[in-house]
Amino acid sequence: MDIEAYLRRDYIKNLVNQGKRLDGRKFDEFRKIEIENNYVGEKACGSSLINLGNTMVLVGISLDVGEPYPDSPESGVMTTSAELRPLASPYFEAGPPGEEAIEVARVVDRGIRESGAINLEKLFIEENKVWIVFIDIHILDHDGNLIDASGIAAISALLNTKIPKYEDGSVIYGEYSGSLPVTEVPIPCTFAKINDKMLIDPTLDEEYAMDSRLTITTTDTINAMQKGGVGSLSESEVYNAVDMAFEKAKDVRKLL
Amino acid sequence: MKRNGKIRLIKDGKRLDGRKFDELRRIEMKVGVLKRATGSAYVEWGKNKVLAGVYGPRELHPKYLRDPTKALLRCIYNLAPFSVEERKRPGPDRRSIEISKVTTEALNSVVLVERYPNTAIDVFIEILQADAGTRCAGINAAALALADAGIPMRDLVTACAVGKVDGEIVLDLMKEEDNYGECDMPVAITPRKKEVVLLQMDGKLTRDEFKRAYELAIDGAMRICEIQKNALLSSINVDVKGV
Amino acid sequence: MLRIKNNEFVIPGQLIGSRIICDTNCFYENGKVYSAIQGIARVIGNRVIIIPSSGTYVPKEGDIVIGVVKNIMSRNWVIDINSPYTCILKGEEVARDPLNEDIRKYFVVGDIISGKISRVDEVNNSTISGPRKLENGIVIEVNPKRVPRVVGKKRSMLNLIKEKTKSRILVGQNGRIWINDGNIELTIMAIKRIEKEAQTKGLTDRIAKMLEENYNKN
Repeated sequence: MDIEAYLRRDYIKNLVNQGKRLDGRKFDEFRKIEIENNYVGEKACGSSLINLGNTMVLVGISLDVGEPYPDSPESGVMTTSAELRPLASPYFEAGPPGEEAIEVARVVDRGIRESGAINLEKLFIEENKVWIVFIDIHILDHDGNLIDASGIAAISALLNTKIPKYEDGSVIYGEYSGSLPVTEVPIPCTFAKINDKMLIDPTLDEEYAMDSRLTITTTDTINAMQKGGVGSLSESEVYNAVDMAFEKAKDVRKLL
Repeated sequence: MKRNGKIRLIKDGKRLDGRKFDELRRIEMKVGVLKRATGSAYVEWGKNKVLAGVYGPRELHPKYLRDPTKALLRCIYNLAPFSVEERKRPGPDRRSIEISKVTTEALNSVVLVERYPNTAIDVFIEILQADAGTRCAGINAAALALADAGIPMRDLVTACAVGKVDGEIVLDLMKEEDNYGECDMPVAITPRKKEVVLLQMDGKLTRDEFKRAYELAIDGAMRICEIQKNALLSSINVDVKGV
Repeated sequence: MLRIKNNEFVIPGQLIGSRIICDTNCFYENGKVYSAIQGIARVIGNRVIIIPSSGTYVPKEGDIVIGVVKNIMSRNWVIDINSPYTCILKGEEVARDPLNEDIRKYFVVGDIISGKISRVDEVNNSTISGPRKLENGIVIEVNPKRVPRVVGKKRSMLNLIKEKTKSRILVGQNGRIWINDGNIELTIMAIKRIEKEAQTKGLTDRIAKMLEENYNKN
């Protein structure tokens, strides 16, 4: 375990028993969310920089023309990747994405894909040519809850993404032909279980103190779920979390 | 770098973006922008957006890399996939590896690595938006981040690029000038003694042109150094109204 | 010959002067003294000290530090002291018969301890003595170079905080601070603010005011 995990773990658990959190939040409260859209407006088709408390994530959206999947020849393609950049934490190393980065990417991807947020049907250009949407998550500063920060920034970036012009077989970057068709706004909501209590939007200290973690991404349906960490969840904990996730997602959605 | 005589990069004595030959693009610098990194800096230079973070001196693993006489200073330059118009595949490519190497060597010239034997000092440069001159912006950010981290140095390092465009020697190339010009020459110096710690060049320059370009680069770098100094000075003027 | 003024902000490579005595935050070149870091220069006669804005903790003999046991090896404990160098707590410091006892009955991995740096070698590896387990309370971390400001001249700042919050506070020179009892939240708030505003003027008054306002709230 990271050494700093030991420093505040017990104290945070004691606080939870008293119904409190280190930063004074309620158990069902997100940290302050600040979003700047089109942060990479000169180069990327869409982008969003999020500060979720002290966690900072930059998501960029790039579009290119490519071949569709053989089983859906008239559908665009979306693909998500994430990098825990080494400057974000002393424990992140340079190199290809490890399991933590891959999990972030796949959970964020699931929420967007399964909700049908991007109308992939509208990304068909001509035979064997569709738009490919690259969602690249760049973690810049780690203070917990990378999944929610990445997921919220990703959908915010997609909502502000423009499609480049495509003429005579080439993409004309810098000139746009319209907005990316986005019809749903999936929002992930992550809970950390500490001493049988479920806390929304854990900080890094709280992640060190938690037993397990549950992420639920919702629109008007549940679109993705991921349990993480070592430890178990009871049925009622899961059901309560689902209810709360719907509610909190609505609040976050208002900010976008 | 393509040479295309058909694109006119200079019209009526002005460059495509209206700048004079010795004029820098708009530059803003800030330190202490990351919470976890020991030191950090952010540079906006024209359309470039560059973030640098420093960790260290810290324990060096694996042990066989440890040097009992000094710290191992490592610098990694990385372009975010969305930082350029045509998406760049994540991961180090040959260009990034070369830039990382020359940047590490430039910074190694000033950092007093002998003071921290057996340790690592890691510098990470992230290009968030790229528009010509990223390696220079990266070096300037890295030097600030090292100072922000309290790592002892003989001097700052300041970088600036010059080039030749439509036969003219110009300062601080923009994208089109970098792509279609006749020469690109990034330079990094230690401002106190104006000694060169990074020098790269590709293109065609006569000896006389090189001399003029070099002098222009030093002149530009000294101006940029003032911006670096102000960024460090601003960091101690903190907003004191409430936590 | 001095080239800077008292309380001037200096940056790496800045000329301090010649024939001046300067501390480890400087370097000498061709008979002249330069600053190696960014910080505030304090002039005392022909001596200059540079108060760093930031930096890593390097252990010094006599420092009180707060560490975390990170490994047990060869009858010794390896302690993390927030420094790039190794720190050892020898089994014989604590156990009467370390070779025949299971020393884990004293400290295990994850325990938080305070202690004094007893020896530092040529490559900054150190040993720690007089260990005490810190139980309960919370350990927060601040920039190690801001610790003197948190303590204050003759412990004035620290005493001010203790008086108003009634907390027990143990300050480690390595930037770790243990807080227990009293108004822990307020103590943390005060320390974090001192860390942030360490190089500004009038800080003591502002902290006193903040403590007063929050003290009266409770």
